[in-house]
Amino acid sequence: MAWFTDRHYFLLAVTCYGLSTLYSVFLWRKGFRRDDWINYALLAAGVVLHTVAMLKRGLTLHSCPVNNLYEATTFLLWALGLACLVYSLLPRFKFLCAFTAPVLFTVGVFALMPSLDPPHGPKPEFSGALRSLHAATSLQAYGAFGLAAVAAAMFLMQHHDLKFHKLRAMLSLMPSIQRLELITLRLTLAGFVLLTIGLAAGQQLPRPEGKPYLSDPKVIWSALLWLVYLELLAARMFFGRSTRRFTLGVTFAFVFLLLTFGITNFYSGLHHP
Amino acid sequence: MAILHRVEPALALRACLSTFNLQPSTLISVVVIGLSHRTSPVELRERFAFADEKIPGALKALRDSGIATEAAILSTCNRVEIYAATSLPPAAAFAELKKFLIAHHAFDGALDDELYVFDEPQSLHHLFKVASGLDSMVIGETEIFGQLKQAYELAFSHQHTGARLNKAFQRAFNVAKHIRTATNIQRGSVSVMSAAVELAEKIFSSLAEHEVLVIGAGETSEKTARALRSRGVKKITVTNRSPERAAALAAELGGRAVPFAQWLDEFEQIDIAISSTAAPHHILDRATLEPLMKRRKNRPLLLIDIAVPRDIDPAVNALDNVYLYNVDDLQSIADDYLSLRREEAARCEKIIAEKVAALLQANKVAAPDEA
Repeated sequence: MAWFTDRHYFLLAVTCYGLSTLYSVFLWRKGFRRDDWINYALLAAGVVLHTVAMLKRGLTLHSCPVNNLYEATTFLLWALGLACLVYSLLPRFKFLCAFTAPVLFTVGVFALMPSLDPPHGPKPEFSGALRSLHAATSLQAYGAFGLAAVAAAMFLMQHHDLKFHKLRAMLSLMPSIQRLELITLRLTLAGFVLLTIGLAAGQQLPRPEGKPYLSDPKVIWSALLWLVYLELLAARMFFGRSTRRFTLGVTFAFVFLLLTFGITNFYSGLHHP
Repeated sequence: MAILHRVEPALALRACLSTFNLQPSTLISVVVIGLSHRTSPVELRERFAFADEKIPGALKALRDSGIATEAAILSTCNRVEIYAATSLPPAAAFAELKKFLIAHHAFDGALDDELYVFDEPQSLHHLFKVASGLDSMVIGETEIFGQLKQAYELAFSHQHTGARLNKAFQRAFNVAKHIRTATNIQRGSVSVMSAAVELAEKIFSSLAEHEVLVIGAGETSEKTARALRSRGVKKITVTNRSPERAAALAAELGGRAVPFAQWLDEFEQIDIAISSTAAPHHILDRATLEPLMKRRKNRPLLLIDIAVPRDIDPAVNALDNVYLYNVDDLQSIADDYLSLRREEAARCEKIIAEKVAALLQANKVAAPDEA
């Protein structure tokens, strides 16, 4: 079984996410009227395989597997998948899986591109407790932002259906919009705290000569994200911004994060030497 | 418009019976005679209604006359039915039961299509349908289940039921429970009031923490406020042009009354407003509500406008965090639910046909000499 590498396990995980996505389309077509465990089980199977893939890679490297774009992306997806499984245990929150599965599947397929996972040298480029803390908290923050965006998307759908008097709003087994907003706010707040810790840890890391911290594209990108989320949270919590605008902001911020994560990583001298 | 594939109940039942090679027993059979909202107006139903205290006497008279060996009477505002186990041939039993009904109520008018009669297996099918709420005015309602249970317990406690009716009624209750859990026949709100409550639960996580303002102490707003109260709402404020009426309703609902001139001041605290005044124009418009929403820090606000002409300008629905529903919107939700229940009824009929066949099979096994 030596030929069966961690990438094969990740491929199987992505397949589970794909099946979950297909089932999610079915649930969506049925108006989210059935609150069953099938999607949860598919996603849980995916997360288990995903965990095995990451464990195998981590044991090979003897460190947290966040050394290249493939590993960073899989870590982000793992954090998102795991958080989704935990939050889905709340009453009426199983539909989080239906909204998370498409994100896990599409980004998972992207992560599987071979060019994102070049072979490692004899020693991992990225090791040490502080580096692991920086990478793990930053990627978990992105996972929390991802799940917040998923809850925000659920809010926006339910809000639209209620506003325009669609029967689907009544028939679906979704949580109340007030609860969805609360979950979105808490997850965004958790992501923000994790990102703050991640950035602070990153700032403490030794840098190569002639590479100032604040001129690195990834650092600028992360600082920009931090500011965006700070603005979203402050406007909602202290200035009474409407829930619809807040949830739209959380959704767009995560779409921006997903679309630019790979590019900034690629052009970052600190993260992609 | 979806095409409904309805199962013809009689055909489904016949198919089930032939599958199991069953025929109804010939010695003692369960028969039904009655009149309901489907066949007769309320004026006639009330003429034949049995008062609770008179039912034991009527059942005794029925058994003493030799028409029935066992009997139970179901008398509600929507139906009056006699369920009887009899050894008489069906035609004779129906004629005697009709005579009994007419004599007992001293009815001197004509009765034709208003009365319906069922012999086995249709009588059992009808009993199961009634227990499951499929024959009710609001399809799938559960009140009839309790009424049927009460009717059976009354007959049972006075020893007017025996093996046949006991088994039939017990099975009917089991079938009703099974249908309730296995199908969506009871899903959703089929009245304006319950639709409003369900809507509130889609917006707010817990109704107990939210305050309701009733503007105009009309009957529908009172009923809606009561429905919300039954689902956990604790704080209710009432306002009305007549302060006495507001105070009276507030006392009934366990809330407080505020003068009509000050109801807008309440908007900072409340989360649900039910409006049903007789005002000829809008009493709440977008320009008035917009600054109030800012003061509320954009907390969600559910506005239920059940007044005709409408009290609330439809333009307020465009405001963020405002959800406005008028009486037509709520009625349309109730109607949609009702059509979903009708679709579900086809599934229920199929289940009932199978359960009737199973009961007849059990009767056949228990008394092979009767078959």
